[in-house]
Amino acid sequence: MNNVMSWIKDIQFFTYVNIILSSITTTFILSIASFILATIVALLLSFIEVFGPRPLVKAVEWYVKIVRGIPLILALFIFYYGLPRFGFPLPPLYSAIIGITLVDSAYQEQLFKGAIEGVSEKQIEAAYAIGLTKWKAFRHVILPQAFRIAIPGWINEFSIVLKDSSIAYAIGVTEIFTQAVHVAQVIADYLKPLLLVSLIYLCICYPLSYISNRFHRRLIEMGMIGS
Amino acid sequence: MESNILVVENLWKFYGREVILKNINFTVKRGETKVIIGPSGAGKSTLLRCINLLVRPDRGRIILDGDVITERRDVHNIRSQIGFVFQHFNLFNHLTAIDNVLLGLIKVKKLPREEAMRRAKEALLSVGITEELWRKYPAQLSGGQQQRVAIARAIAMDPKIILFDEPTSALDPELIWEVLNVMEKLSRNGMTMIVVTHELGFAIKVAHEVMFMDGGTIIERGPPNQILLNPKGERIKRFMDRMWYLYSLNRSSKVA
Repeated sequence: MNNVMSWIKDIQFFTYVNIILSSITTTFILSIASFILATIVALLLSFIEVFGPRPLVKAVEWYVKIVRGIPLILALFIFYYGLPRFGFPLPPLYSAIIGITLVDSAYQEQLFKGAIEGVSEKQIEAAYAIGLTKWKAFRHVILPQAFRIAIPGWINEFSIVLKDSSIAYAIGVTEIFTQAVHVAQVIADYLKPLLLVSLIYLCICYPLSYISNRFHRRLIEMGMIGS
Repeated sequence: MESNILVVENLWKFYGREVILKNINFTVKRGETKVIIGPSGAGKSTLLRCINLLVRPDRGRIILDGDVITERRDVHNIRSQIGFVFQHFNLFNHLTAIDNVLLGLIKVKKLPREEAMRRAKEALLSVGITEELWRKYPAQLSGGQQQRVAIARAIAMDPKIILFDEPTSALDPELIWEVLNVMEKLSRNGMTMIVVTHELGFAIKVAHEVMFMDGGTIIERGPPNQILLNPKGERIKRFMDRMWYLYSLNRSSKVA
């Protein structure tokens, strides 16, 4: 602890903090871009899985099974080291975005599918009973409720992507974790920069998990999910 | 105008090899209130669900206002003419009370917003849901209020008939009255209704005819006094004795 305190008093400290924080934009671009792309892919896939014809449903099921079996770092390596062999060299950041999108889309697909199926059968019956067509029941009852049911998990999923984006270090993307390691190598001390970078992750993830929990409790209060 | 608004002919329903409904026949006159009683598993709920085609009957015909609805493919059009009130209210959780009523008026009946609003307000007021409750979500309402909003949702659509599936079974005893009261008023105002219920007081007071169902068929039917107080068959006698016992009333001296 004394050690850490003395580091904070060190003038160099702020330089290092600055170096690490200077890359936070990259972390955000990487995590937000892959997260949003994964959401778009996952929404399409989940609609297909819930409403699509059987062969397509099977295809989505296999996509999810296979992709969930790929370690994230492997996906990143495939797009960074693998693609150039086919004549598609990509900069590290793009490779990372595609890799994370691929893997996260499978997890988000499960989340959205669960949310759509999580809309109570009673709600759907009531929708049909007032004379809504299948499509209108989906549009006005199932979708709005599934959307709300998915929110807490969706926010949590972003926390996971944000932290997973640190794996981009392995293919040389300069995001905050990479910078922390660089600083550590320069000052020959790993603990302090790594503690600092974990504090940054925590400062982002803690409020997110708080918001997620609030949404979750609201859903229980509204009777949309069981407690 | 034909006096029978609903005709059910030779209706059968199977789940797998199990017979749920066998050979159900009855008619409902315009403005009539019919009460269906019977033990659980008798097929009462399935019968109601068959009438608005939430469950497809396997055999038989249902004729609504001269229209053979079991042969129609546009089931949503049929359902919009039939009100349904559920045991667990089934209000749309993500919508306020008034939006629950408006949804069908705007998206099914395609009424302009003002006209829909006028009818929704009228329906809500007629079931005693006053303005301060209109913007509340179902979770903020009591069970009795939720069920009354559900009834308003059904009557706002101006249905030819309303089906009630044990509308008071999920309510606390002191809330049952407000729902039964609304239903009684509806019946007196000439609404055609089929009510599956265990509320014997309601049946005696309001029903024009009571049908006793067991094992997927209608065993006995007749005026409420006859079915509820002087039933003929052994099965219905036993059932009624138990029902009256729950009401702490001695229908006769031979309550078991």
